[in-house]
Amino acid sequence: MSSLSIIWTLAQKELRDALRNRWFVLYTVAFAALALAFSYLSLAGAGIAGFAGFGRTAASLINLVLLIIPLMALTIGAQSISSELERGTMSYLLAQPIGRVEVFLGKYLGLALSLLASLALGFGISGVVMVLSGSGAADPSAYITLVALAYLLSLAMLSVGFLISALTRKASVSVGIGLFLWLGFVFLGDLGMMGTSMAMKMPIGSLFAMSLTNPSQVFKMAAILNINATLDILGPAGVYAVHHYGQSLLAIFLATLALWAVVPAALAYARFANRGDL
Amino acid sequence: MLSFALIAAILAIFPFAAAQPFDLQAALAGAQAGDTIVVPAGNYAGPLVIDTPVTLIGAPGERPVIDAGGQGRVITINAPDVTIRGFDIRGSGASLDREDSGITSLAARTTVEDNHLEDVLFGIYLQNAPDSIVRGNTVVGKPLEMGVRGDGLRLWYSAGSLVEGNRVHDSRDMIVWYSPDSVIRGNTVERSRYGLHFMVNENVLIEENILRDNSVGIYLMYGDGYTVRNNLLFNNRGQSGYGLGIKDVDNAVVEGNYFVANRVGIYNDHSPLAPGATTRTEDNLFAYNDIALWMLPLVEHNTIAGNVFQENGEQVALAGEGVLHNNSWSEAGRGNYWSDYAGYDANGDAVGDVPYVAQSLYEDLLAKNPELRLFQLSPATDAIDLAARAFPLFQPRPKMADEHPLMAPPALPTVPGLAPPPLAANLAVAAGMLLLAGLLLVLGTRRSWRNGI
Amino acid sequence: MIQFAHLTKQFGKFTAVDDLSFDVSPQAALALWGPNGAGKTTAIKCLLGLLKYSGHILVDTLDAKKQGKMVRRMLGYVPQELAFYADMSALDTALFYARLKSTSPQRAAEVLDQVGLAEHGDKPVGALSGGMKQRLALGLALLADPPILVLDEPTSNLDAAARDHFLHLLSDVKRAGKTVVFTSHRLEEIEALADNVLVMDQGRMLMTCAPGELPRRLGLRTQVKLRLPDGQLDSALTVLQAGGFTVSRNGVGVLVDVLASEKARPINALHDADIEVMDFEVQ
Repeated sequence: MSSLSIIWTLAQKELRDALRNRWFVLYTVAFAALALAFSYLSLAGAGIAGFAGFGRTAASLINLVLLIIPLMALTIGAQSISSELERGTMSYLLAQPIGRVEVFLGKYLGLALSLLASLALGFGISGVVMVLSGSGAADPSAYITLVALAYLLSLAMLSVGFLISALTRKASVSVGIGLFLWLGFVFLGDLGMMGTSMAMKMPIGSLFAMSLTNPSQVFKMAAILNINATLDILGPAGVYAVHHYGQSLLAIFLATLALWAVVPAALAYARFANRGDL
Repeated sequence: MLSFALIAAILAIFPFAAAQPFDLQAALAGAQAGDTIVVPAGNYAGPLVIDTPVTLIGAPGERPVIDAGGQGRVITINAPDVTIRGFDIRGSGASLDREDSGITSLAARTTVEDNHLEDVLFGIYLQNAPDSIVRGNTVVGKPLEMGVRGDGLRLWYSAGSLVEGNRVHDSRDMIVWYSPDSVIRGNTVERSRYGLHFMVNENVLIEENILRDNSVGIYLMYGDGYTVRNNLLFNNRGQSGYGLGIKDVDNAVVEGNYFVANRVGIYNDHSPLAPGATTRTEDNLFAYNDIALWMLPLVEHNTIAGNVFQENGEQVALAGEGVLHNNSWSEAGRGNYWSDYAGYDANGDAVGDVPYVAQSLYEDLLAKNPELRLFQLSPATDAIDLAARAFPLFQPRPKMADEHPLMAPPALPTVPGLAPPPLAANLAVAAGMLLLAGLLLVLGTRRSWRNGI
Repeated sequence: MIQFAHLTKQFGKFTAVDDLSFDVSPQAALALWGPNGAGKTTAIKCLLGLLKYSGHILVDTLDAKKQGKMVRRMLGYVPQELAFYADMSALDTALFYARLKSTSPQRAAEVLDQVGLAEHGDKPVGALSGGMKQRLALGLALLADPPILVLDEPTSNLDAAARDHFLHLLSDVKRAGKTVVFTSHRLEEIEALADNVLVMDQGRMLMTCAPGELPRRLGLRTQVKLRLPDGQLDSALTVLQAGGFTVSRNGVGVLVDVLASEKARPINALHDADIEVMDFEVQ
């Protein structure tokens, strides 16, 4: 019980720090403003067909999530442990009568809640805009699922950030690595796969399997599957995936994202717990 | 409608009808051409074969049931000028080879009206039944895999027919073969394969229909002179899902339709085909489709003007390599409205002063490598276009150019069938998210921090 | 109360602490004395579970390696480098650690009062002076009223006045019955607080002794500058050299090399020879 209250105390402190972290605030404001702008723009001229615009607005939001959420989650995750090591506050914290598992869980929970606040704000604002322009989802749960998937992606990226943070000592180094990985997840990875596919004339099955290695891609496919119930927007490879994996496709996506959220976090914890140089 | 006097006269012909269970088969066997048989409520076993020109009416409000118990056809019409009205028809067989159906007409001038057909393989099948009327019926298919379902409605060599106000769902296709001069109006087809499928017809009018959640909304294959007007094509998706597909058709006129949220708004496969023929696509709304207009590279002689292209994933796409020559993207100095047009209108004539050009390296790559569509919505695709603009060496040839893009979307006629989403529930969801954000914000502030002192 | 048994800590090939063994009795105050790099801080970090080590550290009957959390519950720690969250106020900082130590929020206000920071509770920690921060650290260490205090160079960053104030606070704490372990390289601090001194060098324990014996045992020397009346410099030099001191002339006075514990001896020798010392200064 007291262990839980310690975790909560640490989480609350992380939440407080995130709200004062200017990068976090900047990303949140950018995300909210762009979500607002995208939902407004894709519905401009809503007099004609404002309703039914949900799918298109959702596509814009997916695009936006892919760009910003990994950046935000990787950055704050990468700072999480290394910045406290660098400032020396970590060793003072660990000299208190608390365990490393509590410190790790508290930090993770706090940052996860900060990300949730950020996503809820952005999606809440754009949701209001959609409703006011008469184009919300035909099934409101589709919007909730979209947010939940985006959140799962942010947790995956947060975990990767934590892993970077646990492996480095300097915040500047870990943030640098985080930004590089962001480029990889968001741009270089996809560009590489596109190039490989064109150069090697890959079969679409292999192309689809390869795309599962990028959590951003997995989020995108899961989100589209949630909204459209098909992946036909993704062309032959998407149609192949639905045809080949059928009902289990969503489970595959969710399991992949969950693995990305759990495995790096577990590795980060293992490294943090065994660190003997604080 | 039927007058009481007429009903009285009919009852006089069959004096036992009111007192004893009505014998439908006997009544049919004894009917004379031109008779009207009013069938009271009850469950009547099919199959029913009608060899005399009679009017068969379910007594008003009673909806008698005709059930073939899962074997063969429920009703077969062999005589011209037969009317079937006001029945529940169910329980056909499930053989595609025998074309088991609810109603099959093999004679001219059949009228099928206000019936409810359910658990039937084919619904209404007009086979060599010209000048027929199919109006106000509901057809619900058998709950089978798409491939072994039958057609909700099929016209075969039934020229001059009117198909109006019917509702078909969970069926396969509503298909019209070799039936020139037919009118298809105000029907609703949902959750089927081809909403409306036309094979080899001339002068067919297709208007005010609602095609929703099918693989394909309307498919025109072969023929001349189709008019597709004021229909709603909404969320038609699937492996080869289109709102409207046009293959090898001459002189099609597509106007005033709403293409909303389909995988592809219009897919044009070699239409027009004949020299001198055209395809006119005017005053339609293309909104929120993955691709608004998808054309094979050699398509020409299309006029595409006065349309609204609103926030489609790809406004114009090519199925393969090439550019769209010999098509007009404007008429009389009036082009289309493109939501991604970035030009200006200095002279204030409501027409943009620079052309709208569809040109994207990523979309060009897609045309050559369709499998790359897997990366749709990825920021990497935006990066490719950004790079192409920065290094014009990589800029592909424009797919098309609208010389007279409209600065504002023109007013369009309304179409039936678009329901607004649930306002209160969506507002509650959005407000809930803002509330959650607020709550988390409070948890991270000093006030809750000092909680307990 | 605390037992170190064969504690050894290596950083790569460098041995920071080498087979260190000692005990601390309840309510005693032990000073770890030694030059920088002697291994004092490393030994304390091992006690706190911040470093992995070989050997054993027992607190009461608890093994610091296996029951670190319970051991830390018995310790109040004042680090050498104060690392607080600069943007948090003193009171919020105290509340935060009070919650981590599962003690009451009232206790946070109490310890701020105890270390004389009650008026500064709303100031961000970053805006506090070095002395205030050090007192805050002491307050935090006292939050859960632990039986043992561990201090790492507690006054190294303070000016003379703040140092006096802080040592005064520490004496009160010690009188209240806490066991105290601290590292220091300041003699007056050790003399004021410690019951025992453990002398370390290069990771090893050289010896233990009472604080008063330390200078002699170590042969610690210092220099005393004496100001003498004009004309008596030469005779003073003669007297002092005869007394076995190493002396050199220094302007209007002389500079005498002495054991740190015998700073008054040259003055007494001159006094016996009727030479008046006008002033003196310890270097």
